[in-house]
Amino acid sequence: MYRVVLENLQLLPLLPRFNLKSGFGEKSVDEVCRAHGVNTDFFLEIANAYLDELYVPSEGLSLFSLGTMVNYIKSTHNYYTDIALPMVEEKIHRLMERSKLSEKEVHLVINFFNDYKKDFMTHISQEEEHILPYVLELERQSSLKKPDPKFIQKLRSYSISEFEQEHDRLEISLEHLSELIIKYLPPFDDLQLCHQVLNDLSILMKDLVDHADMEDKVLIPRVAELERELLNSGSLA
Amino acid sequence: MRIWDFILIIDSYLVRKGLVSMLNRIQGIRVLKEFGSGDPFLTHLQSHPVDYIIMSQSVFESSHELFISKPELLEKTILLQSSHKDALTTGLPPHKGQTTIHLMEDKEAIVYKIRNLLDRRKQSDPGSPSMGLSPRETTIVRLVSMGLTNRQIAEKLFLSAHTVMTHRKNISSKLRIKSVSGLTVYAIVNNIITIEEVSSLPAK
Repeated sequence: MYRVVLENLQLLPLLPRFNLKSGFGEKSVDEVCRAHGVNTDFFLEIANAYLDELYVPSEGLSLFSLGTMVNYIKSTHNYYTDIALPMVEEKIHRLMERSKLSEKEVHLVINFFNDYKKDFMTHISQEEEHILPYVLELERQSSLKKPDPKFIQKLRSYSISEFEQEHDRLEISLEHLSELIIKYLPPFDDLQLCHQVLNDLSILMKDLVDHADMEDKVLIPRVAELERELLNSGSLA
Repeated sequence: MRIWDFILIIDSYLVRKGLVSMLNRIQGIRVLKEFGSGDPFLTHLQSHPVDYIIMSQSVFESSHELFISKPELLEKTILLQSSHKDALTTGLPPHKGQTTIHLMEDKEAIVYKIRNLLDRRKQSDPGSPSMGLSPRETTIVRLVSMGLTNRQIAEKLFLSAHTVMTHRKNISSKLRIKSVSGLTVYAIVNNIITIEEVSSLPAK
């Protein structure tokens, strides 16, 4: 395990989402995962998808329960809201304080980030309050011998594909912010801090892209499949 | 960020791999598939969408039928020539403005050409956000960034408030940006407005 992480430090933000902490000693990936109650195959799939943009999730990913995926999505959300966003926010504020930007420019950046955070939170709570519970309920219903007819009735009018259409891409605005800093704002005296902000933004952007990919390419197709199965079984009954 | 999908069809394994590793370092490019000349790339191209194809000269010359059946692919093809003198010897007229790269060219030249190509496409691509906006919508984004309220915009453009609202809604759904500050930064980085012109009042 330690070699996997040492050679791919980009994986660090991933570890807390699985409740894994460093200090691995000589334990293998499998041993570490087992010790923390993490499904090793699931961890490997996510890690691979995270490291390699072209990585195509193997068939195996469809074997994990949706519950496992929902948990992972939730802990990723926590990582964004509790760690990644506050961290970059604090740096942006510090950067603004130390800059010689006009009041107007500072307002622009701060407002932008505040609004972005608001949109971000709305997006996440929408997912956590509506989509994820729906996914879990769907999985539960499809494991039942006799799924609740009311649920099936609801299925006829709602499908996960609606969510897919509304699925905002949260990284685009961050790209605008980076572009604003690099191209349009006057240079910052504290170059180090400025670079840190840009770096943090870029890491967060990539993370968001990967996360959305996982939702779009893995979660949604699986859910859509379950929806179909359940509807078919319902129509037979 | 817009991602451009590339497919490579190049006989030489080494050249192909070299180009793949180079392209992968250019932001915004994704190499979807790579083929040697003997591989079944025809069936793949028939059924899979792609933004650009990089083809070696010899593959290009033997792909007549492909371009006849799918002429739109010709515009997407970047030709890899093995020497500067390589003239197009196919019966096909060279596509106007076709990008060619040469085997002996240095890295910078190739990167420059490809970037250029993508930039040009970006500007004329209806899929890219700034181009997705109609001229009217662009004007409205500009006025919003200057701090005008919907009512002020309506008066200025001789529109009803309702029409302005509809425009605002369309803009938000096209750009996936809802807040005024988001639109303002969007307008700046897309050169719709300068920072100097932006409203000095903190955006709501």
